[in-house]
Order: sequence, then structure tokens, then C-alpha cells
Amino acid sequence: MKKRVVSGLLAVMMGLSLMTGCGAAGSGASGSDSGDTVTVGLLHSMTGSMAISEQAVLDAEKLAIKEINADGGVLGRQIEYQEEDGASDPSTFATKAEKLIDQDGISTVFGCWTSSSRKAVKSIFEDYGALLFYPVQYEGMESSENIVYTGAAPNQQIVPAIEYLVDQGYTKYFLLGSDYVFPRTANMIINAQVEAAGLEVVGEEYADMDQTDFAAIIAKIEEAQPDVIINTLNGTGNVSFFKQMSEKNYTSEDYMTMSFSIAEEEVSTIGSDILNGHMVSWNYYQTTETEKNTEFVEAYKAEYGEDRVTSDPAEAAYDAVYLWKAACEKAESFEVEDVLAAIDGGDIAYDAPEGTVTINGDNQHLAKPVRIGQVQDDGLIYEVYSTDGPVDPDPYLETYDWAVEAGIKPLE
Amino acid sequence: MKKLAGLKGKGNHLCFLIIAVLLAASPLLVSSTSMIQFLGKCMCFSIVAIALDLIWGYTGMLSLGHGIYFCLGGYGMAMYLRLRDNGGQLTDFMQTGGLEELPVFWRPFQHFPLALLFIILIPTVLAGAIGFFIFRSRIKGVYFSIITQALTWAAYSLFIANSKYTGGNNGITDFSSLLGSTRGPANRGNLLTLFWVTLLALILVYMLASFLVNRKFGKLLIAIRDGENRTFFSGYCVNNYKNFIYTLSAILAAIGGALYVNFNGSITPSQMTISYSITMVIWVAVGGRGTIIGAVIGAFFINLCEYNLSSGSLADIWQYIIGIIFCVTIVFFKGGIVGIFRDQIPALLKGRGKKKEVA
Repeated sequence: MKKRVVSGLLAVMMGLSLMTGCGAAGSGASGSDSGDTVTVGLLHSMTGSMAISEQAVLDAEKLAIKEINADGGVLGRQIEYQEEDGASDPSTFATKAEKLIDQDGISTVFGCWTSSSRKAVKSIFEDYGALLFYPVQYEGMESSENIVYTGAAPNQQIVPAIEYLVDQGYTKYFLLGSDYVFPRTANMIINAQVEAAGLEVVGEEYADMDQTDFAAIIAKIEEAQPDVIINTLNGTGNVSFFKQMSEKNYTSEDYMTMSFSIAEEEVSTIGSDILNGHMVSWNYYQTTETEKNTEFVEAYKAEYGEDRVTSDPAEAAYDAVYLWKAACEKAESFEVEDVLAAIDGGDIAYDAPEGTVTINGDNQHLAKPVRIGQVQDDGLIYEVYSTDGPVDPDPYLETYDWAVEAGIKPLE
Repeated sequence: MKKLAGLKGKGNHLCFLIIAVLLAASPLLVSSTSMIQFLGKCMCFSIVAIALDLIWGYTGMLSLGHGIYFCLGGYGMAMYLRLRDNGGQLTDFMQTGGLEELPVFWRPFQHFPLALLFIILIPTVLAGAIGFFIFRSRIKGVYFSIITQALTWAAYSLFIANSKYTGGNNGITDFSSLLGSTRGPANRGNLLTLFWVTLLALILVYMLASFLVNRKFGKLLIAIRDGENRTFFSGYCVNNYKNFIYTLSAILAAIGGALYVNFNGSITPSQMTISYSITMVIWVAVGGRGTIIGAVIGAFFINLCEYNLSSGSLADIWQYIIGIIFCVTIVFFKGGIVGIFRDQIPALLKGRGKKKEVA
């Protein structure tokens, strides 16, 4: 008798918890194109180890949405957004992407930061014919029809940085990175490029993602005596590495570094006294001198606080929303097919804080200017060199002879 | 607690039957593809939870590293699917790593039967070997947990560090399921077949687990949990029993992982982190350990909560909610959800005031 009651109650409970799911499934019908609003998805890590980085990007996207809404929306509709937490786990990103697209009927999503999360959702966006705006510089070797990459491809960050160093007369390069796909791919490219320039890579070392002891690596650097260290460390590795270098009293005059993952946010974490004089390569800095950027920095600080800094990924995320708006307006539609067709034309442009950016119709990356910057003791990064105009994106490095010779483009 | 574990009445089976029927019918009730995909993933998680319940709930060995077996199964299946989809070519991460030809250990995964064999064989050998050494050395309790955790961490680092063979953090992506694409209305047939096959697997695993724990073998597992030395001195070779159940648990976890990648479309090392392995333990703890059905309920309950809570306005705080559920369960309801319905509520209904037995 007792067991009956038990099983009955259990069944009711299971049913209820399943209904929660189904109920949510039903309520998603409010979808994309109803009435006088249009809903987009924001898919970032709001919890877990990536939350701290992705928050800045999420904030920039919300700021852009708010501005556009205040300005009358897109095609006369106000933008609403549905946030989903990817929880710093690629599989959660996949589950959530599918939830947004299929269950909530949202076809345009701004999201992801890590390459692993982008790769986990890529086939989902392709299968459902949805559209993802990805706002972070990355290692290239990809161009999905259903993704617009608003961060830099390798030839808009890595390649120009090495070209600059070669021009400046640096001859001995030491490659240091965290052990994952971006540093590995970046270093594959850099090796080919340095070799083609007839110069020398004197060492290549990888640290674990959460490594904090760099004594062995610093010893190898001392032994190799490079002119410049190409740094693709990510996250906490940067803090430990630079602190331990400064404990040995090494400054940028002893060992110059060129970093690809240090933006304004990271400078404030590591300390501007330690990073003073070191070089970085991005498309945008908070100090970039354009009229649009003055407005952007002002709006960002007004919205989120004076102590917040803008950075390249945040700016690329901000651009993404405006580029989507421009594409919708050209297509006169919110349907992904129409928007993609408009993008294919290759003339969707936006006068961004970094300068004018244009979506390349073939590979859906942006043509954008490249800037080499130097960290100064006020914690900001100042431009020391920039390309004359926007650099066309080339995610597979097909227009570089040395890259073609080295066989960098994937076979698949 | 003893009574709870020993009590394997028909109520549990009836409850599982209801769950199974609900699941089987869910494609008819739910139109959204993503929800079906998600329920499919939950079934795979349930299989892992059952595997954990066998060794933790029944045998008292708390493994904090079952993610490794889940991932071994997942990677095996993903390797096969990736090679099938790209025609046996080098993958992009191999090329980035400078490989010229397919690594030796990838080659068997070009063939489906071999791939299946290795999905089962690798966890069997690994768990068998680990179990052999751990149990022979009479390592138990918290030391066992620590070792399983350390092994998982080692495996995780190994997978990250050898990115040219494993895809590093990105894992293996860009493949469709065994039956082809399962996304969108056009492929609903594929998805449903996959869904029902997975449900069948869950039912079989449930039946196997129930079969094992309801005979003398199950009693022995409980005896080992409650008094390992006494069992040993009663003349049973405790090590062999423990090793057997540990290895079986690893195999079941691998099967769960292999089915999971079909729904997920990718596998990354984050499924074998320590924190993910502990999440699996939480499913069992919240559902109610030592009951089999509790593992299934826990896996569904926690994952459905996560799925529905971690968006919109609650997105910032959902982890606290899950955390509170877990803490409340551990502190007040040791028998988990099953315990609430089997012990606490009936006790209340009968107006006994206080229960005789605190589960």
C-alpha cells in the first residue's frame, strides 16, 4: 500500500518536472518576428571561468541594442533580447544554441567567445539555417556561411604584428603560448612567416591553461636570448608570467613581448607598471582616435561605470549589432536567408569606433584596420603603428605566398 | 538507510515504467526538436547516473572521476562519426599539429564494428586495470575518491596537451549522428529513431542494474558497503566484486557518452573535468542513492532545472539555486527525492510525527 502511494507521487513529480520543460517549449512561440519587436539571442558565459571576459562583450551588445532602440529600432521594430548562459562549457553552448533557435524561434544570435564554444555551435547554426555573430579575434581556418566573424582573422592581427616586428629589425623570436588551439595555430602561422622572412624562431613553449609557475619557461627564454617574445598566453597564465618576469627585474627593454590576448581589461589585472612598454596587436584600443570612439567610450562608461574600460572584443561585439541592423535594413527583412543574401553583396558597412568596417561577402569576416599598440603607465594602450586603411580578411591566408607554400590551409 | 537500499519494491519499477512511457510518448507531446534533443541527452546522463549509483549507492565507492569513462565512450563515437563524415581524411587539428597521416589509434575508428568494440574495450581495460591496482592495495573511502579524481584530472590534461590527436579544448566537432543529421523538421525521423534507441538503451541499463542489485550479488555489494571487512572474513573475495562492479559501471558510463555525442554533435574535454564528474554525483545524490530509480530521477531533475533556469532573468543566479537544492537535499533529505516520497511523505501521511528511521 505504502509503495503504491510512493510510486504515484513519484510519477506525479516526474510528470511535473517534465512539464516544466514542455511548458517552456510551448511558451517559446513568441518568437522572432511578432508585432512591433524583433528578438535576438545573446549567448555568452554568465557563469564559470569565462564569465569575467564575456561579461564585457555582453555589456557592449546590450549597449548597442539600447542605443538602436532609443534611435527607433531596426526597420521600425524595437529589439528585444533573450539571454542564455553557456556556463563556460561548449556542450552547454550547443544545448542553449539549439534551445534559442528551435524552441524560442530566434534566428539571430550574438554570442560565444572561445573557439571551442564556437565550434560546438557551428553545425547547429548551419543545420538550422540560423545566423551567429561571433565577436572575438580567433585563429582563422574557418568560414561558415552562417557565422559573421566580427573579430580579427589571423591576417588582421598576427601577420601584421610579425610584419611590423620584422620591419623594426627584430631577428630572434621566441613563441610562448597556452596549450590550446589559438596559440598552436598562431604559432604554426608565425613559424612559417618568420622562416619566410629568413629570420629565426629560437624557441617555442606551451604552458598549461592554468599554469602559474613559469620558472622553467623563463629559464628557457634566458637561455635562448630572443629579441622578442611572441606571447599567446591566455587568462591567468599572463598574470603569472609577467609577474614572474618582473620579479627578475626584466622589463620590456630586456625582453620585448608582443601579445595577442592582452587588451585593456587584462592590463588592469596584470598591472600597468609591469606591462609598461610591452606591445600588443589589435584592431581597436580605448584610445583610438575617432569621433565615433569618443562617443562609444563615453556611452559605455556612462552605462556601466567610470572604472570600466572598453576593449577590442567589446568593440567588435558592439559593431556586430550595428552590422546586423545595417544588413536587415538592406534586406528589408529579418529573415536569415534575406540577411545573408544582403551580406553576400559585400557592402554592409558600419562606421565603427575602430574606423569603417565592411563585411566581406565571400568569407563573412570584416575588413578592418590593424593597430600595433604599446602599453603605457596609465594602464591604457596607445597606437604606435596602424595600417593605412582596412585590411581585407583572409581567414585561410590564401593570399600570402609563404602561407600557401607552408600548406597552412586545412585539407578538409 | 539499510532498509531504503534493501527495499527494491515494485514501486520503483512502476515509477520507471511511467517515466519510460512518458519519454516514449514525449515526441508526440513536444513539437520542438531541441526539447527532444535535450531529453535525449538527459537519458544519456541517466545511464551514467545509474552507473554511478551502482558503485556509490550500492557498493559505497564514491567515484569523483566518472567523466573520464563518459568521455572515452564519447570520444570513441565522435572519432568514428568524424571520420565517417570527412571520408577518413586528416582532421583540421591533426594538420595544425603537423601530422601527415592518420594516427595509428584513430584507424580502427574508420570502421563501425571496430569503433563499437573499442568504445567498450578501452573503458573496460582502463577501469579493470585501475580497479585491479586500487582494490588490491585495499584503497577505499576518501582515498578512492581522491585517486579517481586525480586520474580524471590526468586524463583531462592529457587530452588537452595532445591537441593534435584529440582536438585539445575544442574536442571533436563537425559531425552528424549515427543516423545522419537530427536537426530541423526535415530530420525529425532520424531524431526520433535515435531518441527511441537511446530510450531502449536506458531501459536495458535500468533492467540490468535492477537485475544485479536484486539478487545475492546486490546484497553482497551492500554488504561490502556496510561492512567490507566482515564480508571479507565471511569468505567473499571482495576485491573481485568491487572490480567487477567498477568496470561494469565504467562500461555503462561509456555507453552513455557514446549515445550522448549523437545528440550533442560534439565532444570536448569539459565533460571529463572534475567539476563535471562531481555534477554527475550530484544527480545521484539529489535523486536518491542506492535506488537506481533515484539516479534516473536526479539526472532528469537537475538537468531540467539547469535547462530552464539558466536563461533570461535567472541566468546570473541559477547556479546558486542548484547549489541550494543540493545543500538542502544533503542536509535534510539524505534519501534524496526518492527518499522524500518513500519515507518522509508517507511518514507524514500516517501522522507519526517523527519517523522511526532517519534515512
